[in-house]
Amino acid sequence: MSDLDPEIFEIFREESAERLDRMVEVLLAAESGQPPEDALDSLFRDAHSIKGSAGMVGIHEAQAIAHALEDILEGVRGLDVFPRQFTNPLLRVTDALRRAVAGETDVASSALRELAACASAGNEVNPDESDAARPPLATDQPAPVRKPSVDRSIRTSVVKVDRLLDAVGETVLQSRRLEHLLGNGAGVDRGDERIEEELGRNEILLDALQESVIQMRTMPLSTITGSLPRAMRDLATSRGIEIDLRISGVDIQLDRVILDGISETINHLLRNTVAHGIEPAEERTRAGKPERGRVELRAEQRGSRVAIVVTDDGRGVTAELLGLTRDGRSLAGVLAEAGFSTTEQVDDVSGRGVGLDAVRTHIESLGGELEIHSEPGRGTTVTLTVPLTLALLRILLLTCGGQSFGLPLTSVEEAVTVTTTLSLNGREAIELRGHSIQLVDLAEIIDAGAPDLTDTAQAVIVASSGRRVAVLCDRVVEEQEVVVKSLGPLLEGVSGYLGAAILGDGGIALILDPAFVATARPHAAVVTAAPLPAKVLVVDDQFTVRELQRSILEAAGYRVKTACDGHEALTCFKADPKIGLVVTDIDMPKMGGIELLRTLRDDPAQSSLPVVVVSARGDEEDRRQGADAGADAYIVKGDFSQQTLLDTVQRLLAK
Amino acid sequence: MTGLHVCVRVADEDYAFSVDAVIEVADMGEITPVPGAHEAVLGLRNLRGNVFAVVDLAVVLHLADTEPRERIVVAEEGVRRAAFAVDSVVGVEKLPEPGEDVESPHLVGAALIGGALVGVIDVKSVFDCVQPTPIR
Repeated sequence: MSDLDPEIFEIFREESAERLDRMVEVLLAAESGQPPEDALDSLFRDAHSIKGSAGMVGIHEAQAIAHALEDILEGVRGLDVFPRQFTNPLLRVTDALRRAVAGETDVASSALRELAACASAGNEVNPDESDAARPPLATDQPAPVRKPSVDRSIRTSVVKVDRLLDAVGETVLQSRRLEHLLGNGAGVDRGDERIEEELGRNEILLDALQESVIQMRTMPLSTITGSLPRAMRDLATSRGIEIDLRISGVDIQLDRVILDGISETINHLLRNTVAHGIEPAEERTRAGKPERGRVELRAEQRGSRVAIVVTDDGRGVTAELLGLTRDGRSLAGVLAEAGFSTTEQVDDVSGRGVGLDAVRTHIESLGGELEIHSEPGRGTTVTLTVPLTLALLRILLLTCGGQSFGLPLTSVEEAVTVTTTLSLNGREAIELRGHSIQLVDLAEIIDAGAPDLTDTAQAVIVASSGRRVAVLCDRVVEEQEVVVKSLGPLLEGVSGYLGAAILGDGGIALILDPAFVATARPHAAVVTAAPLPAKVLVVDDQFTVRELQRSILEAAGYRVKTACDGHEALTCFKADPKIGLVVTDIDMPKMGGIELLRTLRDDPAQSSLPVVVVSARGDEEDRRQGADAGADAYIVKGDFSQQTLLDTVQRLLAK
Repeated sequence: MTGLHVCVRVADEDYAFSVDAVIEVADMGEITPVPGAHEAVLGLRNLRGNVFAVVDLAVVLHLADTEPRERIVVAEEGVRRAAFAVDSVVGVEKLPEPGEDVESPHLVGAALIGGALVGVIDVKSVFDCVQPTPIR
């Protein structure tokens, strides 16, 4: 044996086992008197292939047996019929070959003797016997010509395909990043048509590349339906029901991830036909139906999608439920809303908690649809439509400020728990195996409101653009394979994201651009040295006023948040307790400025927070009310000027 | 233009989208905020596996928001698609030519019907306003 890669041996063994299985099948068929028309050719091809690959991987024992077998078969190929007396010895030879393939030695000599005996017998084939073995229709046909194999295939491991898919996914993201860069100037005139053209071409190529890799991951639907007939039979029997289950179209190829995603759903739907659909025999007879219930699982391709149809001829949904669909709502929608879990009682068949609503949400998250038709007393048809393939990316899912974010896994080195931080010259860092890594707070980078850090905050080490940073987040959730969606033209220009992923529960996670995260503004980690400009919250129900005040304050260097009433303002405080000053109107719907002030003053944490009232009301009484509620300054809109506002804000913050 | 419009209510006012631009109407559902996006963008909505940006019509039109947005109208203009958050969808109605004067650049015009003014949304203009302009 050689020192070849063990993986190659594995592939050789798998492939040979498959070929040997086929040879045995052909030999058994020949023994029963019904050999396939091309029996000899098929056996010859398989022996020949095993000989070739055994030689390649250096298993000479197997090579020798396969060679001798090939010789024998070569000798009788001209006979055009299969010599029946060959079957037994050849079956024994395939056993020996199987052992040789598995790495056993000392199996060749006996096999070779067996083959030698066959060879001499082959020279005196009894014509009667061979006639009996001849397929009835083959009599007048010419000997089959050995066809070149058209549908050639190679074997490779799923892991390798996934690795390739990952690389392609990264390439796609990389090109989006490049496009983004070009779109944002970067010294290149985007108006240059040649660049546009090349980018367009690049996109087409990447699409094609991604498409073909995804194709490599497809598997037939039958891989998840194989165990269904037996399971359904047992289930029906346990409920005293008889059913005929028909399954068709399951050779359709689907992406492995979609298969995984719908496997449980199909199971669920089929179980439902027994749990709620099919009636007991006597009830069926009374209704004039055949005693045995009919359940069908059918798959058919519709363009780039696959429809999987589950039909039963059972009792259908009730007329009342059906009545609810009259105003144009779909039956699936009605049933999902009704909390319909397909049976009234919770039992071991239909299970608990997995309602139709969950099924529908799940299918929709895969980009699929669920449709239900039913006729009371006649049966129900459920149709799932799912896409054949998905564009996938592996991400690490994390949460920040109550929201989910994803980081492409290829840029993530590890996740760590942060207990202590190092601080120098206004930058924070963590220590990791004797090195310091700059710490950046995801909440600051994306400017999402987030609660203050707990002492067991988690961080993810991200490497990108030649930098390594520790990205602080609320929680690291898990690794996931997700469907990547573009944010769409309206949001593509927003920095920091590569796209959005639809999660298993139908929620959305924004996928962060690791390059953006790793090179985020250094002030993100600034803690003390140069204090950040204060955050000012502007509260006013009029958009114009909010925007005016925002632009004035932002131009003066403040960071500004806005809210349209007192309620929203309080929500802002919850999300971002670091707000340093509030500018508020008095008259607002839901919660006015006075009430907001009182609420803030009641909170010990905010009791000394500077608050500026800017109101259209300007008489003595109003001012007094404001002062009583705890306003630090009162500006009348009529006297409003940019300078007054800035002076007031500056004065109050300086205190 | 067919004259048929999807009529909506936003902050106690009537607005409408030409049916030619509307793809579908759905519930508000769960919205995922996109930090850094335009102020009028509430976030992203997953609609049967498709991701749409949801634009708050009240913010774009500078309306005082009163009611919570409950419905979305998915509209398209060229290759751009997005959803508009509205208080409620009134229905599909045939509107007269929107000949009445309006000030907002985001309205094609306003139609006078049954003693009320209905502002017809200029989907393209709203999209242009919300979309970040690349810096040259």
